[in-house]
Amino acid sequence: MKKILYLLFMFSLPVMANTEWVDSVKRMKWGELDVVWIRDEKFPKYTWSLVFKDGALSDEKGLEGQTHFALDFLTAGTKKYNQNELNDFFEFYGVSTKTSVTHEYSSISVTGLVKDADIIMERVCHLLDEANYPSNEVKSLLSREQSKIKSIVTSHAALADRVFRQESLSTTPFSSPAEGTLKSIQKLKTDNLMSRLASLKNSPKTLYITGPKDVLSIEKTIAKCGWKTVEKEALKKLSLNDSGKVGRIILVPVPEANQAQIRLGRYLTEHEFAGKNDLYNFVSSYLGGGFTSKLIQEIRVKRGLTYSAGAYASVQGVYGRAGITTFSKNETVAETIEVIKNILTEIKDKGIAQKEYEHQLGHLVGGYAFQFEQSEAFLSQVFMYDLQGRPLTELASFPEKIKSITPSELAAGVGELFQWDRQVIVVVGSKSLEKSLKKIAPVTIVDYKKYL
Amino acid sequence: MMKFMLFLPLVLAMSCANHKPKTGLADIEIDIDVQEVKLENGLTVLMVENPKLPIFSLYMFYKVGGKNEHPGITGASHFLEHMMFKGAKKYGPGIIDFTIEGSGGSTNAYTTNDLTVYYENLPSSQLDIMLDIEADRMENLLLKPDDFEKERSVVLEERKMRYENSPRGQLFMQMMAEVFKGTPYGTSVIGNIPDLKSVSREQIFAYFKKFYAPNNVTMVIVGDIKSSKTRKMIEEKFGKIASSPSVQGEHDSLTPAMFKSELVKDREVHLKGATPQPMFMMSYPSYAHGHPKSYALDILGSVLGDGDSSFLKKRYVLVKKPMASSIYAGNYTLEKSGVFFLGGELVKGVKLAEFKKTVQSELALACESEITEHAIMKVKNNYLLDVYKGLDTNAGLASFLGERHTFYGDYKAYKEELAIYAAIGVGDVKAVCQELVKEPSLFITVWEKNKN
Repeated sequence: MKKILYLLFMFSLPVMANTEWVDSVKRMKWGELDVVWIRDEKFPKYTWSLVFKDGALSDEKGLEGQTHFALDFLTAGTKKYNQNELNDFFEFYGVSTKTSVTHEYSSISVTGLVKDADIIMERVCHLLDEANYPSNEVKSLLSREQSKIKSIVTSHAALADRVFRQESLSTTPFSSPAEGTLKSIQKLKTDNLMSRLASLKNSPKTLYITGPKDVLSIEKTIAKCGWKTVEKEALKKLSLNDSGKVGRIILVPVPEANQAQIRLGRYLTEHEFAGKNDLYNFVSSYLGGGFTSKLIQEIRVKRGLTYSAGAYASVQGVYGRAGITTFSKNETVAETIEVIKNILTEIKDKGIAQKEYEHQLGHLVGGYAFQFEQSEAFLSQVFMYDLQGRPLTELASFPEKIKSITPSELAAGVGELFQWDRQVIVVVGSKSLEKSLKKIAPVTIVDYKKYL
Repeated sequence: MMKFMLFLPLVLAMSCANHKPKTGLADIEIDIDVQEVKLENGLTVLMVENPKLPIFSLYMFYKVGGKNEHPGITGASHFLEHMMFKGAKKYGPGIIDFTIEGSGGSTNAYTTNDLTVYYENLPSSQLDIMLDIEADRMENLLLKPDDFEKERSVVLEERKMRYENSPRGQLFMQMMAEVFKGTPYGTSVIGNIPDLKSVSREQIFAYFKKFYAPNNVTMVIVGDIKSSKTRKMIEEKFGKIASSPSVQGEHDSLTPAMFKSELVKDREVHLKGATPQPMFMMSYPSYAHGHPKSYALDILGSVLGDGDSSFLKKRYVLVKKPMASSIYAGNYTLEKSGVFFLGGELVKGVKLAEFKKTVQSELALACESEITEHAIMKVKNNYLLDVYKGLDTNAGLASFLGERHTFYGDYKAYKEELAIYAAIGVGDVKAVCQELVKEPSLFITVWEKNKN
């Protein structure tokens, strides 16, 4: 057989302008299904994500994790195929599958070779129609998940993230982990998963695709799937209601810790970040984006208190979170928190030096083109803009919008997000830290098992 | 290096836009348009033009790593990696990071047993200055004493984070120390604590002078560049840097005999760590890069442990009464040797001794029953998709070419590598499997109930 010869970059297109990238996003309607396609002819491979506008907020009370496992256990079995057969089918074709559930949306993503796209979509349709979650498999899979949650104590960073989520969002409907808790997982049964899948698959859906034109042949397969759409009530807007835990440090002791994980931040309501996405993007980049960010320079480079530090201000549809993430050795945990407090206060009070501002501006604007290097990453961006109801023209004008933010607006943005007396502070580490932490704020000690 | 886990990009194919190609591994030939240049001082440069976006990636592969160290200076390669960001004669302290990130770029580095690799992704307008920075720090690294001491603390914190506080890290580090005891691979890449505390600036400087020279580097640039113009820039900036007279002697002094594992009979090591359920690794000495058997062992690793349809997952995890909550297998190939391993975490109540006995006996049977045409085709299909995925970025291609050139002396070695994988059949994989299970193994565990 004659071999197919691939010639690297020989047919690469010339550089495209920002607006051309945005214009390359095609929107279509396949029956009731909204479709977004980014053409990418580089390789005979594709990625698609079927996004349901329904997430973990729809879990039944006490059954947190219901949506997560309804998608995660899709291959546990159907009337026609058992778990081994389903796993073997997808893995034989080299397909990588991923399910993701947040409180606001859920998705199934598939990456595979174009030649197999139809047969893979056919099997996904079969799963959504006929997954029956055999009780033996579900019991065994859930037992595995429980083991995973229990062993989170061995990963202090992951535990700190879990604690911080629950504490920072404690006054909102989003505090429970989408993947459930030990208690809720114990209650999940076959029927719970089947009923959840039934409602999920009828929720409004969008299919995001990237790949060559050939991959659009899946339209015919999807037409046979018979997916229906039942409109859902929009999520209610959140009101501003800070966590009751602000102004104190929540210390979660873990055994044999010679370092402590530090998380601080708060949740954001929709009205706070409306129209400020780019400003908050700038703030998180300035504080924690890269080795030259303010936090890394102050905490690691100048003082050697940590190996890494980061900041983020991310939003979904109706809520978001701003946070700072770092760690330090036991002897310097309190000092690190104090240093962060002083940095944030100084920015709020004295503003941002022109040099620092220009540096971060160059960082964000200069790095803009990298967003388009991988079509999958570009596709994710498009999805987030859709979720937030933002037109893609905002993505095209991102460099100009960033340039229009002044140093004082940037400093004000830091103040808005990280006003010290509104932060929830979590420390996961040795119980012996209590004494040093008490010198900087009241300390509440909580057993880590409460967060599992 | 685990080829199947780290395999990175190769190709771009516009030729398949209007048809669905037959894309089996054996049906594909890849041709990358690489410009290769070797300067008089021994610097090898590989360049690939890709004008799609106004960006490029630069990789510097220094042939120095853990295996080049000796007692007293363990961790020197990694420590030096940190110090390479701390300034040189022209680009002083802080300037390197600020120059790169301030223009929208990103940079990082990693150190292995064999290599230290620096990489940058930048807008193409920054090519000249980036080459200038790389030349400056290769020739004139500062190693300022106060920065050196600050970075010593950072490295010690990194060690805690990656190894001391991570049961997985603890397990991996000790596994390497035991399997390669008495060989140059037996030292930890991050370094022993006493050495990290005592190593002097002078020792690190002498190490730098020996290994950081143009005749010990492969430079790879992929992106929006013009090869002829780039070549002139490189000649101008690097051409004057002297080669190291001693580096080849250092490499020659590491003879194949020095890397032979001393593991001649089964061994067990039990570590105390903060994990409620035991984690384990079962390891067997394996083969170096390019050894014919290493390719078949790569495939064996995937057949046994990749995905939910793999033998280990089906037998020990996805069953009614699981023995493990997670399990994996892989072949870690180094320049001069290798190690094949299985690893995972047991479920509550399963005894380590019982599990070890079961796995050892069933592995021998699996060599006969599990290695089928279907299983091998599945691995090859996954491999092909991984190849395509890796092709998406300039950085992926640069990394791929650099690794091949560094380990095989010729970037084109990928062609042979693909052909070898394509030709491997059931008999080849069965043969290495049967050989492997007869070899002495190391069984290493970490658990909170193990004694110190």
